[in-house]
Amino acid sequence: MDSQKKTNFQIEAFKHRVVVDPKYADKTWKILEHAIHEIYNQNAGELSFEELYRNAYNMVLHKFGEKLYSGLVATMTAHLKEISKSVEAAQGGSFLEVLNGKWNDHNKALRTIRDILMYMDRTFIPSTRKIPVHDLGLNLWRDNVIHANNIQTRLLNTLLELILMERTGEVINRGLMRNIVKMLVDLGSSVYQEDFEKPFLEVSADFYRVESQRFIECCDCGDYLKKAERRLNEEVERVSQYLDCSSESKITNVVDEEMIANHMQRLVHMENSGLVSMLLDDRYEDLGRMYSLFRRVVNGLNTVRDVMTSHIRETGKQLVTDPEKVKDPVEFVQRLLDEKDKYDKIISVAFNNDKTFQNALNSSFEYFLNLNTRSPEFISLFVDDKLRKGLKDVTEEDVEIVLDKVMMLFRYLQEKDVFEKYYKQHLAKRLLSGKTISDDAERSLILKLKTECGYQFTSKLEGMFMDMKTSQDTMQGFYASQGAEVGDGPALVVQVLTMGSWPTQPCPPCNLPSELSMLCERFRTYYLGTHTGRRLYWQINMGTADIKATFWKGQKHELNVSSYQMCVLLLFNNADRLTYKEIEQATQIPTTDLKRCLQSLACVKGKNVLRKEPMSKDISEDDAFLFNDKFTSKFYKVKIGTVAAQKESEPEKQETRQRVEEDRKPQIEAAIVRIMKSRRVLEHNSVITEVTKQLQPRFLANPVEIKKRIESLIERDFLERDNTDRKSYRYLA
Amino acid sequence: MRKEDTVKLISAEGFEFVVDKKAAMISQTIRNMLTSPGSFAETEHGEVTFPEISTTILEKICQYFYWSLQYSSGKETECTKNRHVLPRVPGDQNYHCS
Repeated sequence: MDSQKKTNFQIEAFKHRVVVDPKYADKTWKILEHAIHEIYNQNAGELSFEELYRNAYNMVLHKFGEKLYSGLVATMTAHLKEISKSVEAAQGGSFLEVLNGKWNDHNKALRTIRDILMYMDRTFIPSTRKIPVHDLGLNLWRDNVIHANNIQTRLLNTLLELILMERTGEVINRGLMRNIVKMLVDLGSSVYQEDFEKPFLEVSADFYRVESQRFIECCDCGDYLKKAERRLNEEVERVSQYLDCSSESKITNVVDEEMIANHMQRLVHMENSGLVSMLLDDRYEDLGRMYSLFRRVVNGLNTVRDVMTSHIRETGKQLVTDPEKVKDPVEFVQRLLDEKDKYDKIISVAFNNDKTFQNALNSSFEYFLNLNTRSPEFISLFVDDKLRKGLKDVTEEDVEIVLDKVMMLFRYLQEKDVFEKYYKQHLAKRLLSGKTISDDAERSLILKLKTECGYQFTSKLEGMFMDMKTSQDTMQGFYASQGAEVGDGPALVVQVLTMGSWPTQPCPPCNLPSELSMLCERFRTYYLGTHTGRRLYWQINMGTADIKATFWKGQKHELNVSSYQMCVLLLFNNADRLTYKEIEQATQIPTTDLKRCLQSLACVKGKNVLRKEPMSKDISEDDAFLFNDKFTSKFYKVKIGTVAAQKESEPEKQETRQRVEEDRKPQIEAAIVRIMKSRRVLEHNSVITEVTKQLQPRFLANPVEIKKRIESLIERDFLERDNTDRKSYRYLA
Repeated sequence: MRKEDTVKLISAEGFEFVVDKKAAMISQTIRNMLTSPGSFAETEHGEVTFPEISTTILEKICQYFYWSLQYSSGKETECTKNRHVLPRVPGDQNYHCS
């Protein structure tokens, strides 16, 4: 290098190569166009990415972006038209495959082109707000191929045909379906919906309409539901396999609509296989299926529930009004409990413990249970039976279960005060005859009643228990005080009952045999000595006695009889033969009781310690009675005519009813006064509503009765009619 | 460095720079080139020619690749430790300086 030559060193500005060639744009475009052709022909191996990228870059840079873009559009469109033709030309079965193949190729080409034209995509397109290359490619595909005249309908028909084939049981190429559907989805959700989904749903609706009609003609309800369920699952699977998941809810709606909603009524009411027969036969699986299918449609469950409710009410009504069933109260209540159990099980197993169904069941039971006015009595008798002997060998938990079930029935009663009355009567009999199995069970039930109805309800019942206990203590005290004098006489057990707590019974006088009357007097003195200011009344009609009797050949038996019967029998200690009139006079027992008493002593086979002349079933006033020497029995102890709780006879029932009505009057009045006191002035109808609401836990108040009570209160100056408004009442302090 | 992990970048003057693929991928353009579905010549031979980029520029670019790899990951990576940028002078090219 010669350092002597001095050259001016100029640093020139860094310049881009300036375009001088006017045809530059065209030339560059030709290169790119050629490249696109090659790409579409799968022939890009010869090209240089870098060169193409550089050319595209330069075009955009030199403001030829527009030419590039429009050129791209034109070239692609041309290619797609060709592709479209080749797809159209595809024969029958291979149509979809060809379409799928071409679509894949197009996608690949599109990606490549997009990569080359990346610079344009990033700079030119956003600034001119044109469609990006990728989306452009999809749109062009859609417009030129999918929406081409011959292809659009053919594609749709092919797809629908394949689905129909699958529905009728053939196997189709699911992978291919999936790809085609995915193509439609990629082209845009509107394409998928318009070109495929809408017609698909329509065709499916038609298909299922026809099929459901066919099924319902030939299948019974259970089978139809199975088929419907199967179709539903099938459609869900279809969607997951090769349709877009947005279609799932739409197609299941279609199936629900056509197969279930349209035939709801017919299915439920189908003879011999509809809901009613399913309920009767406890077909849990069918019921469960019906529940899950009907839950999907509007009003489905309402229909099921309504039919079930009316069925339960019908059967319940038949049950309570059937004279046969009503004969045995215990059986009657047991049947009710069984029905309740059955439906509880159905609801929990098949109906998913649905609350609305539970409520429907409860309201139905309440409805028909109160149709029979003797229900409170029967329930009390049922409990009585259980507490006497039914719960003998039952474990404690089971006892609780039975009592809980009884409580459930109790809750359905509208006239709870009637139940209270009967229960008191039966409890009294149980306690006095000592026939209750388990004290714990009794107390447990009382506790449940207390929780349910409040203290008022059970205070008297608890009083009865207290009396029994106190009496035991009193007896101990009595014998302790009397000492040896009464030691070898008859043993006396007295129960002292507080009059208010126990069911009131008239206590007619009765002549006790002399051995006993002395003992009773002694007790009376003792008791009044310790409790001054009280009065004692003997209730012989409620007592029992154990007597030892010697028969022919020295046969000894111990007889367990009522006190009345004891009085009668002891007369025969002094005489062998007595007429009815003589017995009546000696004992002073009232007529009906005496007749019943003698009947059980003389006319019952196996228990006839007395002989009657003449031998007949009924007792008449001219009969005579003899001591039956020839009485025999297998057992040493013989029970005669225990005072068990019986279903009341007609006149007794009337009497109880009347007493209940009488008891209700003061309760109604108390309710009226309570309400008026707080409200001061109230309209007649409002009074009725409020009173009914307040008394609802006890009984259903009769509006006529309430009106009568209001009149009575007005008479007694508790209320007055309002001066201005004749229908309102005012409280008088 | 294995052959499959590398790619050759050739400048306008013909200088060939062999760099890691990972390094070259820093450039979006090169990445698109190499991962494009269309089978271009570049992917076939593993060579990318830049007729409009001079050697000095390309060299700087390659250095940038490695610098970017090293510092964007936050620690010194294997390949930046062993980096060689191998300019090879092909026989028929002359490097003039005047």
